[in-house]
Amino acid sequence: MKSNKIFTALLVLVVMFAFTSSVNAGGKVYKLGLSLAITGPTSDAGNPYSKGVEDYFKFANETKILGDDKIDCTIRDDQYKTDITKRNFEDYLDQGIVLYLNYSTGSTLGLKKDFEEEKIAVIPASFHRGNLENSNYIFLPVASYSEQVIVMSEYVANNHKGGGTPKVALFLHPSAFGRGPLADTQAAVKAGLNIEIVEVVEHGKDLDNTAMLKRLMSKGVQYVISQTIQSPVATMLKDAQRLGLSASSFGEEGKLTFLGAHYTGGNDLIALAGAASEGYFWVCSYNLTSEDTDGTKQQLALAKLYGRDDKAANSHNYANGIMVAQVATEAIRRAKAAGLKVNKANLHKILNGMNGANAYHPYTTVGPVTYSPTDHAGVDMLQIYTVNGGAFKKVGVPLQSAFMGKIQ
Amino acid sequence: MSYFFQIVVSGIVVGSIYALAALGLVLVYKSSRVANFAHGQIIAAGAFITYFLTVTLAIPIFFSFLASMIITFFLAMSVERIFLRRLIGEPIISVIMVTIGLGSILDGLIYLTPFGSENFSFPTFLPHEPLSFGGVSISWTQLVGVIITFILIGGFSWFFKKSTVGISMRAVSDDQFASMSVGISVPKVFGLAWATAGLSAAAAGCIIGNITGLNFDTLHSFGIVVFPVIILGGLDSILGAVVAGIIMGLIQQFASGYLDGNFGLFGTGDVMPYIILLIILLFKPHGLFGIHEIERV
Repeated sequence: MKSNKIFTALLVLVVMFAFTSSVNAGGKVYKLGLSLAITGPTSDAGNPYSKGVEDYFKFANETKILGDDKIDCTIRDDQYKTDITKRNFEDYLDQGIVLYLNYSTGSTLGLKKDFEEEKIAVIPASFHRGNLENSNYIFLPVASYSEQVIVMSEYVANNHKGGGTPKVALFLHPSAFGRGPLADTQAAVKAGLNIEIVEVVEHGKDLDNTAMLKRLMSKGVQYVISQTIQSPVATMLKDAQRLGLSASSFGEEGKLTFLGAHYTGGNDLIALAGAASEGYFWVCSYNLTSEDTDGTKQQLALAKLYGRDDKAANSHNYANGIMVAQVATEAIRRAKAAGLKVNKANLHKILNGMNGANAYHPYTTVGPVTYSPTDHAGVDMLQIYTVNGGAFKKVGVPLQSAFMGKIQ
Repeated sequence: MSYFFQIVVSGIVVGSIYALAALGLVLVYKSSRVANFAHGQIIAAGAFITYFLTVTLAIPIFFSFLASMIITFFLAMSVERIFLRRLIGEPIISVIMVTIGLGSILDGLIYLTPFGSENFSFPTFLPHEPLSFGGVSISWTQLVGVIITFILIGGFSWFFKKSTVGISMRAVSDDQFASMSVGISVPKVFGLAWATAGLSAAAAGCIIGNITGLNFDTLHSFGIVVFPVIILGGLDSILGAVVAGIIMGLIQQFASGYLDGNFGLFGTGDVMPYIILLIILLFKPHGLFGIHEIERV
């Protein structure tokens, strides 16, 4: 009887040892968390974004970018509700995450203090410049919305054909996300940017923008720069086309030329506005699959590898998701290579050092990620695209704002 | 002057579509005194069904449109049969809470499909070139939307005034117990009210979807956006919904056209309809065409 008990105890010990050894043999697991809107408002952007994050981490694990170590990123839907985002974030902290990926402007602003308290590096999908104010831990993936709108304004100022100062209207989402660039653009105008902001429009759930468009025309507005989501822009473009107000070429006199920032464009805008989207000017920091580049080939290959449909594969928000996962993976890889423990503090340090010779070049973006302790906006380069023949095509080469530095 | 008339036309177009979207709410309220908070989801479902039939099954859009109205007719009838029939006789607030829950269930079901998180657009089936007369233009989409709206509203008005079933529905709306005592089947009337509301919601969804594109959040928000229209119109009045819809549309367009950007004012197109609503309700608390019930104790 006694020998039986000893045998059982030994067996248990052997099994436990074997299990522990197998875990160690598989390397370490680094916990990450992502909370975003897979359903609910803005899920048209959040859904492909989550797929990009999921696919790239899967790829990184399978191709052993981190050797035997693995990334375990939990992705949860928060339906664009900050209270759910907060709950998800707190749960992730309990799980021991070393880096956190967030999504919306509202929740990033709302949880900013939590990020500071927890001293954890955060990469959101929101490019709101306000995220960076009084924050040491939030890292924007790319240039802020402010910089995007200012680059578009600079493009207007530099390419305006008629005489005088080009008259511009800003078409904004009625939220912190939409209003963010307003003060910065006004500051750029004060600093010498040669445009006149004639009107600022905060849109609602509009079925017809006739009155607004006619009003803008009566004030001599020639350019409308949007900082919102695709749906209201699509309705506005269709109305302008119906009223015969859309410019057939950039800056056509007596007509309106429409331009916009990251979340106003992409294939979804073409899907919603159809032919009315022709000639729409859009700025973002990502390579688009409508242009054949090495980066977009890799993006499409990744999507194919994990069985994504064409819509997700060609979405710039899928590229956006891949990019933040690339940055997170690279930060962990560099920490390991430097012999540092992969933890919250060291990943924060690595991200802050991602500049100069250490800048990181994701294949999804038009320029490198350059973070420093005083600059938490990742990719500074922006590419202007325009809809031509039903697809976004490059206009010129990637550029950087000349005025952003003057107003910061 | 053409600016003024363009704004009038735009206001009437927007108002008519508001009226059609509000019609389903009125129909349900008219028969059961219930505000249906799942109406926006039914509007969205109607638009997505039409898209699915047109694009995936390659059915011509006109037949898809009719088929989606028939499908939502039975869908809404089933919803009433499964979730709401057992609540007949229960406090109204319980039924309203169920419609809120129902909205969440429909949200969840739609989120399970690509329609929940992707953008789509109906294939082009009307001419691109707008109709223009005297400097005023209207797109074919808008014109067809307005015509369908008035056909449906005219049809429903006739139905409630002249048909036996319509009169039964009005009777149930007035007094459920008295209606039962004269042999009217209240459950059947409720089912029919939900079904016709579903039918009109599908029509509204298709028209809105054709204007804004098919985005779930945009489409289902119209279930709430049109609440001021039915409050102003008087909750249970079809004519009220039409008049209030057009008033709202005109106020919105005129405020946007003449006030916004002037006198330091912005965003009045969104706010002004609510201000006017409040002012009208001060003098007509039951809305423009609402029934003022006098209870004697």
